[in-house]
Amino acid sequence: MSILIQKVTKCYGRKRAVDGISLEVRPGELFAFLGPNGAGKTTTIKMMSGLLRPDEGTIHICGHAMAADALTAKSKMSYVPDEPFLYEKLTAREFLRFVGQMYSLPDDLADRRAAALMERLNITGFADQLAEGYSHGMKQKVVLAAALLHDPEVLIVDEPMVGLDPGGMRTVKDLFRERATAGKTVFMSTHTLDIAESIADRIGIINQGQIVACGTLAELMARAAREHRLEDIFLDVTNPAAPGLAGSMEPVAGRL
Amino acid sequence: MTTTAAMTMPPIAPRPPGLGLLMRIRMAVLRNRIRQLTDQSPLRLLLVFLFVGVIWLALYLLFDYVFRFMRRDQFEQQAVIAIPYVFHIFFVAMTFLLTFSTAVIVYSSLFSGREPSFLIAAPNHPRSVVAVMYLEALFFASWSLLLLGIPLMMAMARVQGLGWQFYATFLIAFLGFVPIPGSLGLAAAWAVAMWLPRSAKRAVFWGAAILLTLIILWWGRLWALSSGSSSDWLRGFMREMSYLKSALLPSTWVTNAIRFSIDGKVSEALFYLAVTLANALFLSWLCINIVGMGYGRAFGRAHAVPTHTTVYSGWASRWLSSAAFFYLPGKLRALILKDVRTFLRDPMQWSQLLILFGLLSLYLTYLPRTRPDGFTLQWKAFICFLNYGAVTLILSTFTSRFVFPLISIEGQQMWLVGLWPVPRSRIMWAKFAFAMTITMTAGMGVTLLSIRALNLPASLALVQGVGTCAACVGLCGLAVGLGARLPNYEQRSAGRIASGLGGTVNLIASIALVTGVVVVMGIVCYRMAVTMETTHLDAVGWGLFAGMAALGFGTGITAMRIGIASFRTAQF
Repeated sequence: MSILIQKVTKCYGRKRAVDGISLEVRPGELFAFLGPNGAGKTTTIKMMSGLLRPDEGTIHICGHAMAADALTAKSKMSYVPDEPFLYEKLTAREFLRFVGQMYSLPDDLADRRAAALMERLNITGFADQLAEGYSHGMKQKVVLAAALLHDPEVLIVDEPMVGLDPGGMRTVKDLFRERATAGKTVFMSTHTLDIAESIADRIGIINQGQIVACGTLAELMARAAREHRLEDIFLDVTNPAAPGLAGSMEPVAGRL
Repeated sequence: MTTTAAMTMPPIAPRPPGLGLLMRIRMAVLRNRIRQLTDQSPLRLLLVFLFVGVIWLALYLLFDYVFRFMRRDQFEQQAVIAIPYVFHIFFVAMTFLLTFSTAVIVYSSLFSGREPSFLIAAPNHPRSVVAVMYLEALFFASWSLLLLGIPLMMAMARVQGLGWQFYATFLIAFLGFVPIPGSLGLAAAWAVAMWLPRSAKRAVFWGAAILLTLIILWWGRLWALSSGSSSDWLRGFMREMSYLKSALLPSTWVTNAIRFSIDGKVSEALFYLAVTLANALFLSWLCINIVGMGYGRAFGRAHAVPTHTTVYSGWASRWLSSAAFFYLPGKLRALILKDVRTFLRDPMQWSQLLILFGLLSLYLTYLPRTRPDGFTLQWKAFICFLNYGAVTLILSTFTSRFVFPLISIEGQQMWLVGLWPVPRSRIMWAKFAFAMTITMTAGMGVTLLSIRALNLPASLALVQGVGTCAACVGLCGLAVGLGARLPNYEQRSAGRIASGLGGTVNLIASIALVTGVVVVMGIVCYRMAVTMETTHLDAVGWGLFAGMAALGFGTGITAMRIGIASFRTAQF
């Protein structure tokens, strides 16, 4: 199992931001993680990437427990946050070289892979300029290239399409699909339901800290009492009181 | 070649990169920053070096003069007693300053911003991340010691005719001393993230305020001693100072290393150097390991979502704005209300004024008790001059840090404010009115307290009162006007706007204005003290008074006109 989340809870004071969720994501799977604002998506992702510690439960990445064997778990994965971080006074090429060294890649291999990724993501033209001059979309592409540089078993991406132009979005979608086909795992959090609908193998929906729906698009639709698009299903499970949709979804257990 | 194919590679050994890699990347960032500065703004770099050089030279000449003065025959004995105390006090002050500044820098680099998230999510050992941030913080925090310490030691070496061994000793002593308060700062930053993550800024700020209050109260005690005879004063002073020489204080070790080096006692100097270095290494190792072990937990706490949110009804700020800015049209009052709420809800803004002016008020309240029989005219004039200098300096730091960025931040909201059917010049005047209300309330409050505490004659009270008004107008006009003339609409952080090029120009202009009005104030006070004329100003006095007022009001109005002209045609 690439990602194994077991009964994970995270509390902020009295508030249970993540409430006993369990989730399994297999190798070769592109998993879309959806939820309204404040549902617990980012907290879950931060726990998966080792930035936050669960109060209860365990998280394993490629069989390595994030709590007990964090460094090995982290070496198997990459995390791209919703607001990409770059050193403003480094060029994209310098940054990628640095990331390669962080993941113990030989310099020549890192350079070759960086060049291939930069070409694929169309960032070669500004690879030697300081990052402070990049637009949000350019930064997003550089960070994505850095995340793919060491060929992680698991790629965790928070809002990957924000700031990208249509061409960039298409490239990123293709890249994600290729990785899944090659047996790697992509865990993507997004608000863009069309993208989730078009490329995800499975979709999980979190609301108020609990997973309220999980499965393939076909499974989610089958579970719904009537035919819906993903947008309808999403609104239905995250806001059952919405007019016209109330009660059209069957309840879903916390563990799926 | 597809990217997937290009990714075929041997499995990665889970070996975390060491400290060296993180240090190298910081060096690369520094190198690029310097290269960019030398390529794009060499004049700015030159100015920085020039200013540092001028400050160093001025401090060196000052210390050189003081040490030579103390070496005169009639002071030789006092100098033997006083000079070690100078070092003790200097290093005690540095201990607090370095602890505080390292704590602030380490907190921001370990627990805020996006870099720590990036580094933690990668397979970096937390200890390496902590170590590199700690070393970086030491580097940035130690500038104050270098700025003040090097000219102090060089002046001492020159006056005493000391050889190269002394230079080597004090440099090693400095190197060994910096990590001791630095490691305390690291531990303090971690403790704040662990236990006060929601109020880190406030905790640090109030900690500094309490410390400053204690220092000023202690200083008041020392000053009160001066009402006794010389021998009583000396005995009391020595008693107050004795605990600064405690053998357990790092400041004592480093002072002793330097003192013994001056006296040519090499083995004793080496002993204290070894004590300093050993403690520095041990404390650094201990704190890096402890903080490294608890870093993940502390980071999680610092980034936890707040468990409760304050609900603001906003009636107090609405009432305050209506009362203080009743003369402004309703639309502009709405703009001011936004600024008033930002001011009241940002403790860094109001607490800075409250603390600094609070300390001044405390001292002014305490002042009459040190001389129950009243001050002589010379003392009144001298203290009045110092008070005026302190008030204007505090005001200049406030306007430079908080008023200057107002227009730049407004520029980011031009989609909102820019579409208002209100002339832009009125927005500028509203900002000016807002800044004036705050600075005048604080500045005039303390000035009136000063006039009352010193029981100043009417003529001097008039000069100080009008001088404070003029300084407020000048400083607010400069901050708002230059804020519009040299804005930074790209930057979202007010602190970074204030420390950018425009902010630096404004700070220099403000300091120049303060210097100008304070010098004029000094001449007026000096002339009154010399002539013993208390009832009225003579023609020269009136001329100086008018000059001071013209300088303040003229600067403010001119800067506002320049700013308005620029803001009217600004594009966003």
